[in-house]
Amino acid sequence: MSTFKLRVKINDVSLEREVTRIVGEEWVITGQERELFSYPAFLPLKVTPPLVVLPGSEEEVIEIVKLFKSKRTKYLIRGAGTSLSGSTTPTQGEVVISLNRLNKVFYTQGLEITVGPGIANLHIGKFIDSDVFYAPDPSSYVVSSIGGNISHDSGGMHTPKYGTTFNSVVSLRVLLPDGSVEDLNGRNLDPLPLFVGSEGTLGIILRATLRLFPKPGISRTLLAAFDNVEDAGKAVVEIYKVGVTPASLEFMDKPSIIAVENTQYKANYPEAEAILLIELDGNSIQVEEEMRRSKLAISKCNGRFYEPTSEEEKTRWWIGRKGAFPSFAYYSPSYLTLDANVPRSSLPKILEFTYAIGRKYSLPVANCFHAGDGTLHPLIGFNSEDRENTINAIKAAEEITYYALTLGGVPSGEHGIGIEKLKFMPVYYSSEDIEVMRRIKESFDPEFILNPCKLIPPKEKECIAVGEIHKHLMEVD
Amino acid sequence: MEVEKLISMCTHCGFCLETCPTFSVTRNEVHSPRGRIEAIRSKIESYGLQTCMFCRLCETACPAGVKYGQIVLPFRKRNVKQSLFLRSLESPRATYLLLKGSQKISLKEAQRFKEFTKGLKVERQIEGEDDEPEIVLFPGCLEGVLFRETVEKALNFLRKRYKVKIINGCCGLAHFSAGNIEKAKELASRLGTIKKPIVTLQSNCAAHMKEYKELFGLEVEVFDFAEFLIRKGVDLPRKEGKVTIHYPCNAYRKGLTKYVVEVIKKMGINVREMEDPQFECGSGGDYWITHPEMSDKVREIKKTKIEKSGVNTVISTNSVCSLSILRSGFKPLHVADLL
Ligand SMILES: Cc1cc2nc3c(=O)[nH]c(=O)nc-3n(C[C@H](O)[C@H](O)[C@H](O)COP(=O)(O)OP(=O)(O)OC[C@H]3O[C@@H](n4cnc5c(N)ncnc54)[C@H](O)[C@@H]3O)c2cc1C
Ligand code: SF4
Ligand code: SF4
Repeated sequence: MSTFKLRVKINDVSLEREVTRIVGEEWVITGQERELFSYPAFLPLKVTPPLVVLPGSEEEVIEIVKLFKSKRTKYLIRGAGTSLSGSTTPTQGEVVISLNRLNKVFYTQGLEITVGPGIANLHIGKFIDSDVFYAPDPSSYVVSSIGGNISHDSGGMHTPKYGTTFNSVVSLRVLLPDGSVEDLNGRNLDPLPLFVGSEGTLGIILRATLRLFPKPGISRTLLAAFDNVEDAGKAVVEIYKVGVTPASLEFMDKPSIIAVENTQYKANYPEAEAILLIELDGNSIQVEEEMRRSKLAISKCNGRFYEPTSEEEKTRWWIGRKGAFPSFAYYSPSYLTLDANVPRSSLPKILEFTYAIGRKYSLPVANCFHAGDGTLHPLIGFNSEDRENTINAIKAAEEITYYALTLGGVPSGEHGIGIEKLKFMPVYYSSEDIEVMRRIKESFDPEFILNPCKLIPPKEKECIAVGEIHKHLMEVD
Repeated sequence: MEVEKLISMCTHCGFCLETCPTFSVTRNEVHSPRGRIEAIRSKIESYGLQTCMFCRLCETACPAGVKYGQIVLPFRKRNVKQSLFLRSLESPRATYLLLKGSQKISLKEAQRFKEFTKGLKVERQIEGEDDEPEIVLFPGCLEGVLFRETVEKALNFLRKRYKVKIINGCCGLAHFSAGNIEKAKELASRLGTIKKPIVTLQSNCAAHMKEYKELFGLEVEVFDFAEFLIRKGVDLPRKEGKVTIHYPCNAYRKGLTKYVVEVIKKMGINVREMEDPQFECGSGGDYWITHPEMSDKVREIKKTKIEKSGVNTVISTNSVCSLSILRSGFKPLHVADLL
């Protein structure tokens, strides 16, 4: 592969002119407003893109991509900009193509819906029959786009039973960096699976056909409260051991509960050091039996269980969990969200470790996560205005992720690698694995112009480090 | 709290984007709450700051409790046209004269006014008071001139139970939204001296007046009309019919729209919920005059959402919302119209 060279001139006037010809003046951002696209929800690093384009149709996107290919212009795709791993931060001077306007619903029938990538996850529900639902539900579902969900293979509370976004993708229409359009359905050697979770590095999703599930007959909620996180961690394992597959199984520790109770998400949870919020769904006989077994499992691990006394209480409990991340603002408005995935049996160990790290760096730490699939979400607060404090937070996050890996975990269960977790790739994957990834990238994007320097750890001098923080993120210790 | 501190609360999560009417129609970060806050944070000039409808629906969606209104207010620029329209709202007589006059002049703004008020009569506000009034009825600046019949109905209903004094005028919300804080404060001070419970026919005015204390340190006891009926346990007549209910933005943020729903349901009227009832109607104070294009796009979305409910009669308890709803071809009705 060729060595990295910065080819985009920041003030490439002819590029600007040609892009304007394609999408119209209103949809090209050239002035100071470019700054508004300088970072997603990953706060430590901001880089202003040379240009922002907001195409309004598939045809316009195709034309732009062909233009960029001919000019070897670097670019990246931005959905709703909620990535927590910095996968849309234009570190290499990429033009940002924002796909929010591609939010059409093309077709919906039975258990499938075909949509444009810019539609927010939340809106899918408005176009489908009331007896079916779209299962992937990242906490950011109110805003995150289907294109972003697919590219990060996002998961949510329903993951334990219904899988991540991967399990809900039927087919994709993708635009490759060479300007060709492919319809992929995952059969034979068709590379659909590669595009799910590829963080916008292989091609552009123009359309997606998604799988819908029939709504379960009934769904019931159970809350378990524990006097220590260890018992709660054990209960997670125990619930699976007794043969229950919950639709959701969420964990919240005391710092998370305190944060939630002090914000608009106030849920009035029972007093506890840790709680598990469990949803069981299916037909009534099965749910009754799962309920009985779950209660036994909770009692065995010294937990107390509660059932909501009203529909309102049930909703409040779940809204509280959904608000747990944003409520962390109670401690610190800026925070890093980790998402290492560990075997469920290691939960108590890693939780204790996160608190120890918080103490070591004097940073607030809270844990609330999808215990059902072992995806941890330690939240680490920091002051984004203070560089040293920011780097400390990043170091704290790294220590936790390394520890998760030693416990047999993976670096990212949900939020992706982006720029945030590049250095963990060589820890988790062998150099052969990484070489294979590079070859895959190369076969789709031989010029390395589409969202380069993300996901796959770059070779030395291949990518520009924009400032100290970015340098730290790319360095392999 | 100073602006920087308020801004630092924003975690850039974007949860507010899809509630924002101007983001919904443009799908452009520049016209989104997150973009606007970011523009202020990074001290850049952004057109987005001018296109905000100041509905503050973003605040209802913000998980971090970011006070968008307080952050953006100092950066809202006033223009002359706004001042002219807003000035006319400051005195009941001027409101009447401007609206009456607008039917004849051919200015672009006046034309738009004509379009939106088609079929409505411009009348003088009702005035008057009972001896030793117990409550004040505050119809709101436009209601008394464009929907006089609604005011009459509300007045008659209330007078069967209370001694009432009518006060016409403006609560200052439109001025506040346009960034004219001094005038907003002056108008608030006029109403701030009222020591009796105030019942308003404008849900958004009720919401704004409930914030007088936080904003200007003025205390008034104010109720939205529907809120008053519920909180005072007033007996309601039974009615037949099918309606859908629009939630005026500020009232929704302040939790007042639940009373409107309760009143309608108590009367036995069949409610067909519209999609996202709190979605902006397109009016946004005087936005529909100052930003006709964006306003029309927002109104188009609202129209689709209302249409999906399959009902033509829309309960709207705020007069500018009613104008928008009327313009889209539906029949707006105030709660008071049903009494
Ligand atoms: C408060 C908060 C809570 C969150 N909770 C969760 C959670 O519970 N679970 C979870 O998994 N994630 C969560 N996230 C992370 C984030 O919301 C998801 O990763 C989401 O899927 C990103 O979607 P987006 O539209 O914002 O994408 P963006 O951030 O805009 O982009 C993400 C990636 O997708 C690529 N991309 C976007 N659209 C396309 C396209 N059309 N074609 C090709 N590539 C594309 C981008 O290039 C980028 O690499 C959370 C984030 C926040 C801020
Ligand atoms: S006040 Fe309304 S228009 Fe302005 S940013 Fe908030 S939601 Fe958008
Ligand atoms: S204003 Fe609130 S909802 Fe919007 S981006 Fe900021 S923190 Fe998120």
